[in-house]
This record gives sequence, C-alpha cells and structure tokens, in this order.
Amino acid sequence: MNQRRRNWQLWTGFLLCVIAFASYVFVFARFPVTRDVPWATFMIFAVGIMALLIGLKHALGQPQQYRGKIMGPILATLGLAIVGFFCFTVFYQTRQLPASSGAPRVGQKAPELVLPDTSNHPVSLSSLLSVPLAVSQAPPKGVLLVFYRGYW
Amino acid sequence: MSRDLCQKAGYSYTFLSDPKAEVIRRYDLLHTGAGVNGQDIARPAEFLLDSSGTIRWVNLTEDLRVRARPEQIIEAAKALR
Repeated sequence: MNQRRRNWQLWTGFLLCVIAFASYVFVFARFPVTRDVPWATFMIFAVGIMALLIGLKHALGQPQQYRGKIMGPILATLGLAIVGFFCFTVFYQTRQLPASSGAPRVGQKAPELVLPDTSNHPVSLSSLLSVPLAVSQAPPKGVLLVFYRGYW
Repeated sequence: MSRDLCQKAGYSYTFLSDPKAEVIRRYDLLHTGAGVNGQDIARPAEFLLDSSGTIRWVNLTEDLRVRARPEQIIEAAKALR
C-alpha cells in the first residue's frame, strides 16, 4: 500500500493563523507598538498563509505523495476566514465611532462638569483647575480629561 | 466599585463617574448602543486644558484600538504654562 507523506505545511499554516489571531488578542493588543498597527500579527499571518498554500499545492498537485486532499481546502478556507475576520475587525469594526463633531475643540473653553468621584463626592472641573496641588501647593498648570469607554 | 478598581490599578488621579452620561453627552462623546447589552457608552477621548480651562490639545481617535500615548500627552503638556 502506498504510504503518503504527512502534509505538515498544511497543519502548520493553519495553526499559525490561529496563533496569530490569539496572540493579538492575548498579548499584542496589550502593547501600543504591536496593537495600533498589528504588524507582528500580519507577519505571522503571512507565514501561515504561505505554509497553507504550499500544503494545498502538495495535497492537490501531488495527491499520490501527500495527504490532505480533503483537509487541505478545509484548512485553507478556515485559515483565510481567520485572516478575513481579523482584517474586518481591525480595519472596519473598531473604526465605527461617532464623528463627535460637536465635541469641544482646541481654543474653546471646556464645558463645566460636576460628577461624583470614587467616594461619591461631587467634583467640578473648576475645582480641579483651581484647587492647589498637594505636591506643590500651587494651582495646577492644566487638567487632562480622559473619557474612558467602560462601566464602573 | 470604582474605588477598588482604582486602588487595584494604582490610579492616583481623580476618577469621576458619569452614570447618566450627562457630561459625555455635553461633550458629544456618546456612542449610542455600542456598550454591553446595547447600552450607550462613551467613545474614547482625551482633552488637555490649560489653567484657564481652555482646551489646548484634543485626541478623538478614529479607531478604538488606537489611543493617545503617554508621550503624546506629556509633549502637549510641556507647552502649557
């Protein structure tokens, strides 16, 4: 019986696509250098897709020597689907933000605000701008307002 | 809840809560229906004000994944006097 060779490129390629996706979610997304432009993820994807294509070529071109005639197209499709989903997320989904055209602009006064702090005491923007800092006993040179996307 | 979170994360700055999204609306930063279970949520945004309360630097990201980096903000803050 003709023993066909194991098509390791096929499986490696697919595995690399999975690893690229998972490593972005769990590792690379935590660091701005690899998150803002996901170059590291795209490099792993590129190697994965190349391996998948080599595996697919072996499986379909030399089916007498290599395995994977059925698994090849399935793994290649799944690998491409992972890449596609990743691209859809980073190039489209995370960019669906409101225009915020009414947001205050540079040169304008920031609208006053009064909101509770973590001890439930109301804090106003004017108090943040005027109350002397504990470290220097001088009023602050400015205030940084950061709007977080989350619930507390 | 916020207090525990701030202590755990080591945030020493003033942390305010806007449960009714009043200020978020006033600043036109509401992202309608984009939160957990379709609740409204703020879009990320950063404003640097000078001592008179005038805005000197703004970052309204176009991509959720891309936020202002500390270096950018420190650079903008250096211009304040």
